[in-house]
Amino acid sequence: MTGDEECTSGELLTQALAGERAAFGALVRRYQRPVYSLALRMLSDRHAAEDLAQEVFLQLYRNLASVSSESHLGFWLRRVTLHRAIDRLRRTPRLEQFAPEELGDVAGESAQADPLLERRLRALVGELSPAARAVVLLRYQEDLDPVEIARTLRMPLNTVKSHLKRSLAQLRERMTERVEALT
Amino acid sequence: MSGGRNDEELERRLRGALGAVDPGTGFAPGVLARIAAEPRRPERPARAGAVVGWLAFGLAASVIIAILLAHQWQVQRLEQGREARRQLIEALRMTDQKLNLASRVVNGEEHGAPQEHSGV
Repeated sequence: MTGDEECTSGELLTQALAGERAAFGALVRRYQRPVYSLALRMLSDRHAAEDLAQEVFLQLYRNLASVSSESHLGFWLRRVTLHRAIDRLRRTPRLEQFAPEELGDVAGESAQADPLLERRLRALVGELSPAARAVVLLRYQEDLDPVEIARTLRMPLNTVKSHLKRSLAQLRERMTERVEALT
Repeated sequence: MSGGRNDEELERRLRGALGAVDPGTGFAPGVLARIAAEPRRPERPARAGAVVGWLAFGLAASVIIAILLAHQWQVQRLEQGREARRQLIEALRMTDQKLNLASRVVNGEEHGAPQEHSGV
């Protein structure tokens, strides 16, 4: 059996663990969007994000036996992606300074949304510190609650809450500056 | 922007701005190509687990064998002690018999001598 769309991720995991490359390929296709999106928002660089996301899936392939379930898989992918991204930002600080405005072709961008404002917001998120950025992405991109974020990043809950509060204040302040500059 | 209502608005905008991005159709084949180029396979952790399992089994077996050998050695030592004790008791018993015999002979000589003298 190969990795068909009707298979659950748990079934695909079992098949991939048995050595079926097609099942692993199906798992990659299923999780590539969230993994790549997290990498892209963290690194603000398409090539670096694609490379990092591929490395995450390679690591998953090598550690399939340690992933126990579908929910664990999602948790594992988020955690490894963000930790790798933070490590890469520490090693290559120039990526951190690069926050291109053109990273705006979001699949879910709605018609009533303000594309310019959203691009600006994405750029501002890219200017947050790596840890704060990871917290904001898990909260507003992955829709995790603070407890889940704390578990994913192995961070105290109060630190997560503090990052969220400060990041929102910083984003609001910079958005206001931007609006004032335009008017 | 300020206040709770503005926070909600900012959060709503953040959710809208941070949507998922598709890496493109070449992503999954790229991952699979990198996997194909790698010598390592996913069953490696299982093999490593099996090796660890066998090592644990070997260690446990060695400990059990060592305990059995120690027990056997102790039993052997006890048996040797018992044998030595038995031999000592036997030697004492034989000595006792010989001493008794010697004592009887000496006593017999002592009692017999006056009879000989009295007969003269």
